[in-house]
Amino acid sequence: MTQDERSREFGHHLIEQVKKGQMTRRQLLVRASVFGLSVTAAGQLLAACGGDSEESASPAASAIPDPVMGGTIKMIGPAPITDPDPVTIYDQGGIVLVYQFLEYLIDLNNDNSLRGTLAETWTPNDTVDVWTFNLRQGVTFNDGSPFEAEDVVTSIERVLDPDNGSGALSQLNGVLSPGNVKAIDAATVEFTLDKPFADFPYMVSSGNYNTAILPRTYKGDIIKNPVGTGPFMLDKYVTKQKATFKKNPNYWGKDDKGNQLPYLDGLEYIMVEDNSAQNLQLQSGAIDLQPQTVFQGAQALFADPNLRVDIYPGTGIREVAFNVDKEPWKDNPKLRQAVAYCLDREAINKALYDGRSNLGYDTFWEPSVFAGAPESTPRAQDYEKAKALLAEAGHPDGLEIELTFAKYLENPQYAQLIQEQCKPAGITVKLNQLSYEAYYAGDDADYYGTTPWINAPMSITEWGSRPAPGIYAAAMLLPDAVWSSSHWDNADFVSAFDEYESTVDEAARMEFATKLSATQQEETPILLSFFITQLRTQKKNVFGVSGPGSFYCDMSRAFMTA
Amino acid sequence: MLRLIGRRLLLMVPTLILASILIFALAEVLPGDVGRSILGPYATQEQVELLNERLGADRPIYVRYAAWAGGFVTGDWGDSLLLKVPVFPTVMKALGNSLVLAGFALVLIVPTSVLLGVFSGLRRDSALDRTITVSTLSMTVIPEFVSGVVLLYVFAVWLKWLPVTAMPPDGSPFVSRFYYLILPAIPLMFLELGYIARMARVGTAQVLAMPYIRTAVLKGLPRRRVIFGHVLRNAMVPTVTVIGSQVGWLIGGLVVIETLFVYPGIGKLMVDAAQTHDLPMLEAAVLMVAILYMLSNLMADIVVALLNPRIRAGG
Repeated sequence: MTQDERSREFGHHLIEQVKKGQMTRRQLLVRASVFGLSVTAAGQLLAACGGDSEESASPAASAIPDPVMGGTIKMIGPAPITDPDPVTIYDQGGIVLVYQFLEYLIDLNNDNSLRGTLAETWTPNDTVDVWTFNLRQGVTFNDGSPFEAEDVVTSIERVLDPDNGSGALSQLNGVLSPGNVKAIDAATVEFTLDKPFADFPYMVSSGNYNTAILPRTYKGDIIKNPVGTGPFMLDKYVTKQKATFKKNPNYWGKDDKGNQLPYLDGLEYIMVEDNSAQNLQLQSGAIDLQPQTVFQGAQALFADPNLRVDIYPGTGIREVAFNVDKEPWKDNPKLRQAVAYCLDREAINKALYDGRSNLGYDTFWEPSVFAGAPESTPRAQDYEKAKALLAEAGHPDGLEIELTFAKYLENPQYAQLIQEQCKPAGITVKLNQLSYEAYYAGDDADYYGTTPWINAPMSITEWGSRPAPGIYAAAMLLPDAVWSSSHWDNADFVSAFDEYESTVDEAARMEFATKLSATQQEETPILLSFFITQLRTQKKNVFGVSGPGSFYCDMSRAFMTA
Repeated sequence: MLRLIGRRLLLMVPTLILASILIFALAEVLPGDVGRSILGPYATQEQVELLNERLGADRPIYVRYAAWAGGFVTGDWGDSLLLKVPVFPTVMKALGNSLVLAGFALVLIVPTSVLLGVFSGLRRDSALDRTITVSTLSMTVIPEFVSGVVLLYVFAVWLKWLPVTAMPPDGSPFVSRFYYLILPAIPLMFLELGYIARMARVGTAQVLAMPYIRTAVLKGLPRRRVIFGHVLRNAMVPTVTVIGSQVGWLIGGLVVIETLFVYPGIGKLMVDAAQTHDLPMLEAAVLMVAILYMLSNLMADIVVALLNPRIRAGG
């Protein structure tokens, strides 16, 4: 089948799904983007669906005034924990910083749909295990050297080399092996995967933040030699204090009207760890933008007449994992379900996130969060059911369990809510609160065999946004997943997952997703009570900041009115 | 006197060696390792091991200590393992910042607290004494993050009289730093005021009860001369000792204030280094604070000796 034929067939399936009511028009756009359909092509699909146009995912889109050129926006956020090497960064400070002057093949829109950045199009072969990326032409790095396929090959091969210590390696584990990225010509790159993987474009998007495209000559000294293709250029970096950026005058990006991007002259990123200190600075008027606002303490920001808090449909979670290698969870899905039915998810959402997050029902395929997910079966609090399940699970008189978590973000409050809500069913939850460092520490000789976040019998682990359910499942629910705190190994799930990722046929994917979702709910290896909404705070005269909340803060279209 | 100073300076050497060994040993007990701190929780075990090997962090502790100590003594303090910046200038800059903040705070704290304490002591059990004692003690029990947030909210966010951070923008004249340090210094003043004032009050009261004061009064000395010539001089001995012991804390222990007011001091530097197993940075920072702590105590002892000839003679 030719590429055009494949696109046509894929588009036809999408239209069918929308007509059958299995997918919204917005979800169509997200799915179309994953398979590299251009915005125009997706627009034609939408037109074929008929009906009214839908809401935009971008907050307050209708109220955005015309862009104003010039000016510098002052941002505030934590300092990078380490010297921010894009190959190894893993924290918010590091990611927000490199995002301003480096780019990815693909970027995430606010609704987790994909937008070509350094790649213009991408298409899989019929068996979805070879992906061809056509690169943007005429892009140069800010040192004047041209951006070509060789830079993509070295950038991706760099994170695949275990010697370079990149966290992206674990994410690409089992999907892409070293040596399988090839430059076909200066403008085309081919990825040969270990197995078919329909969500692969996400893995080389900004969603997998270590895959930033660096010049082929990169030596690991990004601060001394900050060469990238991004809208800004790193100007000054004062460790643990601040970073300043100047606009990249040769940036390739233009807005819809053909204006040169970025609009701003520069950026300043002030590094402040403490959340209340960050919020006070925002309230004092000294700061224009906080890329990531946490719910704890955000009430004052919501109430401030000079600030606007944008809400994004985030996909971050707090994974409550039952370690099925350990008692009492081993071979006992009924017991895991019993705990699930103790939870009052709405009350949890209200207590932790002011009721603003999306509810989860222990499956990653949640249609309110991800495009292309089947309806999940809601799980309301039901103590009778919980008690019946407990009895079936061999614990008619209840039992005592231990829940391990880091004293970090809202974990302690969440743990207490779980403890309170389990009590009426006869489940006594003992809380084992560790420091953040202790929770993620492990023996030198065998980290993943000893660290509490992977080995505790029951644990809460915080996950930042992941753009698709398949990416989450690959990271933690497959038997070969490095970050599996549940140690779950379910043959039905694995085979359905492989088929799900082997096809780009949306109808078939929906069928497999239904099966995956049902298996995940039935087996309940992890509790997913919510998908965390992301907050971003800015002064009321700041507009155009985009990216799906969290770390991804695209400033290329940001501007300030007087 | 010189012998006293010489002996104390010599004693600092074994103390510092012991401290440096302790830091290494304690860092060993802390959960995690430097490779994991750099690569984060998502890197594989093999990746972390490779990095630790490259950094030499997998060698036995005594080998690493010897390597570090050799470098430190010869002036090669190395680079921060995480931040990849040279340790010496980073620590010195942070220390300088902390000294400015501590110095400014002391300039506010010492005269105010001594004055209040002496007043209290002179008017013991009067309404004034009770007011001073109760109010300064109440301030002492307010944790600095509480008073800090309240002060920031009132003076920086609401009234906008003072800046919300403790560092002026680049290129500002040096004196403007003090304007920026007013807010962070106040919570420190709250903490220290009650403590030092109480020492001054007790010292004053005790000296007032001494027979030589009665003699001085009875022989007809003017009250001012009794207070300045006899009472204050002797009452200051315990106060100076306490101030000396607080200087070290004011330089190295201001993590909360530094965090809240976004001040690049040495307290925050030490905590960050400890959490991320950045031993070269941690060792250098802690040792510098230890040296300053010992020097400030020595200074306090010298002042006490100058105030009290008996100690001088015994020295």
